[in-house]
Amino acid sequence: MMFVSPPPLCRLVLAVLFVFLFFFAAAAWKKDEFRNCNQTPFCKRARFRAPHSLPHYAVSDLAISEGHLKARLLPWRPSVDPVNDAGDPPRSLLLLLSVYQGGVLRLKIDEDYSAPSAPSKKRFEVPDVVLPDLEDRRLWLPRFFSAEDGAATSFYLSDGFEGFLRHDPFEIEVRREGSKDPVVSLNSHGLFDFEQLRQKTEGEDWEERFRGHTDTRPYGPQSISFDVSFHGAEFVYGIPEHASTSLALRPTKGPGVEESEPYRLFNLDVFEYLDDSAFGIYGSIPFMLSHSLKSSSGFFWLNSAEMQIDVLAPGWDNSTASDKSRIDTFWMSEAGILDAFFFVGPGPKDVLRQYASVTGTLAMPQEFAIAYHQCRWNYRDEEDVASVDASFDEHDIPYDVLWLDIEHTDGKRYFTWDRVLFPNPEEMQKKLAAKGRHMVTIVDPHIKRDDSYHVHKEASEKGYYVKDATGKDFDGWCWSGSSSYPDMLNPEIREWWADKFSLNNYGGSTPSLYIWNDMNEPSVFNGPEITMTRDAVHYGGIEHREMHNAYGYYFHMATANGLLKRGNGNDRPFVLSRAFFAGSQRYGAIWTGDNTADWDHLKASVPMVLTLGLTGISFSGADVGGFFGNPEPELLVRWYQLGAFYPFFRAHAHHDTRRREPWLLGSLAAEGELYVDDGKSYNFEHGAYIHRRFIFSDHKLTSYDLHSPPNVGLKKFTSGCTVERIILLGLPSGAEKAVIEPGNFKADIELGPLTLRAATSSVAPTIRKPNVRIADNWSIKVL
Amino acid sequence: MENHAGFALLVASFCLIWVSGATSISNKQYLGIDPRDLSYYKSDVIKCINGSKKFTREQLNDEFCDCPDGTDEPGTSACPEGKFYCQNAGHIPLKIFSSRVNDGICDCCDGSDEYDGNANCPNTCWEAGKAARERLKKKIETFKEGIVARKKEIEKAKEAYTKDEAELAKLKSDEKMLKELVQKLKEQKERIEKLEQEERLKKEKEEKRLREEEEKSKEQEEKAEESQQHSTDSSHEQEILMDSHDREIESRNDDVTKTESAASDAVEQENVDSGAISDDAEGLSKEELGRLVASRWTGQEASEKKDIIGNVEEDQVSHDPDEHYGYNSETEENRAKYDEDDRANYDEDNFEDDQEDEYEDDNAVSDGSYIPDQYEKTGSADTTDTSNPSWFGKIQRTVQNVLHAFNFFKTPVNVSEAAHIRKEYEESNSKLSRVQSKVSSLSEKLKHDFGKEKEFYLFYDHCFESKQNKYVYKICPFKQASQVEGHSTTRLGSWDKFEESYRVMLFSNGDRCWNGPDRSLKVRLRCGVKNEVSDVDEPSRCEYLAFMSTPSVCLEDKLKELEQKLGQLTTMQPQNHDEL
Repeated sequence: MMFVSPPPLCRLVLAVLFVFLFFFAAAAWKKDEFRNCNQTPFCKRARFRAPHSLPHYAVSDLAISEGHLKARLLPWRPSVDPVNDAGDPPRSLLLLLSVYQGGVLRLKIDEDYSAPSAPSKKRFEVPDVVLPDLEDRRLWLPRFFSAEDGAATSFYLSDGFEGFLRHDPFEIEVRREGSKDPVVSLNSHGLFDFEQLRQKTEGEDWEERFRGHTDTRPYGPQSISFDVSFHGAEFVYGIPEHASTSLALRPTKGPGVEESEPYRLFNLDVFEYLDDSAFGIYGSIPFMLSHSLKSSSGFFWLNSAEMQIDVLAPGWDNSTASDKSRIDTFWMSEAGILDAFFFVGPGPKDVLRQYASVTGTLAMPQEFAIAYHQCRWNYRDEEDVASVDASFDEHDIPYDVLWLDIEHTDGKRYFTWDRVLFPNPEEMQKKLAAKGRHMVTIVDPHIKRDDSYHVHKEASEKGYYVKDATGKDFDGWCWSGSSSYPDMLNPEIREWWADKFSLNNYGGSTPSLYIWNDMNEPSVFNGPEITMTRDAVHYGGIEHREMHNAYGYYFHMATANGLLKRGNGNDRPFVLSRAFFAGSQRYGAIWTGDNTADWDHLKASVPMVLTLGLTGISFSGADVGGFFGNPEPELLVRWYQLGAFYPFFRAHAHHDTRRREPWLLGSLAAEGELYVDDGKSYNFEHGAYIHRRFIFSDHKLTSYDLHSPPNVGLKKFTSGCTVERIILLGLPSGAEKAVIEPGNFKADIELGPLTLRAATSSVAPTIRKPNVRIADNWSIKVL
Repeated sequence: MENHAGFALLVASFCLIWVSGATSISNKQYLGIDPRDLSYYKSDVIKCINGSKKFTREQLNDEFCDCPDGTDEPGTSACPEGKFYCQNAGHIPLKIFSSRVNDGICDCCDGSDEYDGNANCPNTCWEAGKAARERLKKKIETFKEGIVARKKEIEKAKEAYTKDEAELAKLKSDEKMLKELVQKLKEQKERIEKLEQEERLKKEKEEKRLREEEEKSKEQEEKAEESQQHSTDSSHEQEILMDSHDREIESRNDDVTKTESAASDAVEQENVDSGAISDDAEGLSKEELGRLVASRWTGQEASEKKDIIGNVEEDQVSHDPDEHYGYNSETEENRAKYDEDDRANYDEDNFEDDQEDEYEDDNAVSDGSYIPDQYEKTGSADTTDTSNPSWFGKIQRTVQNVLHAFNFFKTPVNVSEAAHIRKEYEESNSKLSRVQSKVSSLSEKLKHDFGKEKEFYLFYDHCFESKQNKYVYKICPFKQASQVEGHSTTRLGSWDKFEESYRVMLFSNGDRCWNGPDRSLKVRLRCGVKNEVSDVDEPSRCEYLAFMSTPSVCLEDKLKELEQKLGQLTTMQPQNHDEL
């Protein structure tokens, strides 16, 4: 396979900036529009259960089958049934344990569809997220061992680790061989609950109402919840996307914890999101990483329904001898199955490698994509584009990509152009391309319901739209007015969508045009919580509630594949997406959505971007300058300085804001240079600039490469440089200094001559830094 | 002989090769240097231009940056601060950032910036130069014409200015005389009034005495009334007036506050509405809900509403000072008007301005620029009645006559004569206030900065228009600028100042934008034969930019510069261009 590399247009000099500050009337986050846990019945039911208060399940019929460990979970019925609100007695569940190379244990628990009273509907298993070759890397378990006098079973997991299954009540543990110290465990507190699909009992009302919207819930309650404990852990990280000023996840429940919502994973288009909140925003990755100086481990629940996760403070279960070196968490999801992966570690890099072995590594971006991007809602017309482009040259500020937001289209019909504003889009792109620059246009999933619009015509004729609960095409309101949404769960529809990006189908596009997917949570302005109704129906009768968090992922996937197809597989795609799910790293970059031009959002962007990096999405960034509002000059300067460290480095602004292209900063300038390695202008002997370089072998970035420690020496800077790294990952082994506290790194780490100093909340030691010589000590402080 | 010739040829060709080799080496070494700077690089040890370091000739263009200022690497991209000179024979020589050297993109039209063979840059200087020369020639033509037009304009402007100054002087002297006159009339009037009063008192006393016995019961009331009616204590009167002013101001303020709070209530209401989408979502259609949520990002619907409210608030605020001012100086009569109709009257001044503008706009509409004749008409129309000497003489004479004719010692007062004096007083007084207002408006005008040669003087009374899509932009220099769509007018700003040595006209403090700044407009001036506005644009929200061509900025110096440039372009013409 050939990969075409663009001409190096690499140097980024940031002459920084000047912008007036004026009052920005923030209408602010509309809290009432979003459900909290108490308004979410499955969450409310599960969240305040006491440990071991539920009827529990016990393991039986344990057997090896095709290298898996299989068992049946039998419900244990006490003589007096305390909380059985449903009519049918619970059926048994099927449990499947599989082991993969490199220290990955997979646990699946689902209904027994062969049982006589089994439901006719199958629960949703999220397809196309785990790598297709994962199955090839499965270890065939030859046997298992009886432990604790037959009360438990153990089996091989990886060198130094074993799987351990306690029978009654069932509990799963990853533990160290020999010492038997547990690493991660599930159901240690007996909070496992599996609401089985069942018939509606007489007079039962399954409908849920929220702010004028009715969810018909035809299949009734079907949530799953359980506890997961990270043993020996001091901190847990991950489960994006939440805006937070802390990298470590703060406890949400337990003694000494202020009343808080659980971390919510539910992809939503949140207008003016808060900088520090457990509420869900645009994307979801149900992957959590635990860490202490001793060991690290990870847990990933492959489930795309709404999820709520509590991080529990020690003593939450009223246990007197609370283990301070353990972090308990509680996971709740509205639907789907339990399909979970345990990653044994032991180091953080191992956990990330293990996670990447399941969901994949970053797609190797093209060189231009890691350079500086200039965006605004909106560069209005071809003249505007030409003048912005010319101004970059005039001021010798390098940039590689110019972006067009929704206004470039003909009435928000994507794949079209407003021909008054953009009469010659090919010409415009060619002019940019002649200087080695690229253009990105926006393509959103809401398709305007207009019969004269070819995309809508085709999609409605072919029946390619998501259906509402009554079977009609789902009709929601978005930028394009009354709109429908292609059903991206269906692979055939994804292929159809991908074909829309061919140069023939996308009129006015050229090979130097790349794509931006926005609003793919999906955003539905007149829907419940500004998104699609949960009882909308997808391919295979899947309810939207079951796949909601993955909709944007499939959309992103289809778009990236479209660009891959366009270039006959020879042009690496670039697609930026706002919504994401586990595995989105394989399809392109992610940004943190509509942030705000204030210091708190600047600060929050660091943990947000780092968290994305920790959960596989290494290619991510926040809008430099802040989307809403006008940054004061200093804020903008600082944001550029920090933004140079975001793996994805783009400035973007709302149309109500003042222009703030870098040359407008005038006298208030922070001079700096940003190099992306062009292979020749870098001079190690003479302490030239720090470069940013992607390492890849076989035309692919591997997770190891991605997260390997830098081999930074005075004269060697040739390999191991990462897209993004946090101190957590860059620690030399055995460094005892690196105690990482929630939201506060106390680290002083020697990495050759390059001292990374992290005095405050978070540090992003990527290798891209304006005006820094390799011999200089440097640090970024985020106030 | 043949052999010798052959040998000579061989030697010659060797030499040729050697020479060409040497040339190419030295060419390479002196790459990117402005020919005028070549001598600087001739010595063996060369100083960095900023004096920081030294380097040897071998270090020149060796792709290693020795001088922080880039002196040693004019022909490579090694120094970030360097500049590369391209000769561009046939076109304009250019200094480009050294980062552009060998970056794979052709920057110089002669292709000299891409010499490492990675990019194929054809020499396009002759063609590009041709186009540039054409453009330059055209520009020079415009400048030449523009300069002529400018001279005429300046002449006219100076004339008009002198005239206005004379006018002002005249008006001021008229004002002075009128004041005296009015003062005299006033004195007379007061005297008459005093006499009349005395007479009346006397009469009343007589009558009173006669009626005293019969009307004893009503005595008290009568007295009270008298003292009220005939109080001549002016300070007392003033006090009363002031009191009532204050009261009224207070009550006006109350009104304002009320309206404001009503307006902010409305805003709040608005917020509540959008915030409570779904408290009442059932009440909204699906489409309404969708639009409402969309409007958070776009601000569109909400903006319109808020803009209106914002305007109302602003109007009230900005009118407040006028209002107070008006109260203190207005006569009682006018006050009554306030009470009747407060809003319409605040704007009396503005209103007049508007009328004036409309009148001028009509002229402007005709061809988008002003007509000088029109100016004179407008300029003089206003002052005809006052500046006419016969008028002033007449009034003076009349007054003299009246004053002389009046017999102050005659009692009872001659009623018709008294009325005459009152009438004269009132007329002269209103004349005076008209003259005063003209004086103030003319001094206001003359206070402005009209450019070094008063070249913008004639802009004062004119507006320029440009239609862009659905909007008409009206630009009235020294006054204000607005955007008109149908019947709605948005103020883009009021006159602020010239910027960038009279190349930009700035209008600021226009109507407030929802979620944005106060509107403002920059009008960038460029040389043209006619006054014409083109290309109004809004690069950032509510910050407008317009281009206007005008002879006023067609400067001789600039023309010389252009001609020089053209001369350069023509002399730089490569001799072999015909062969190419």
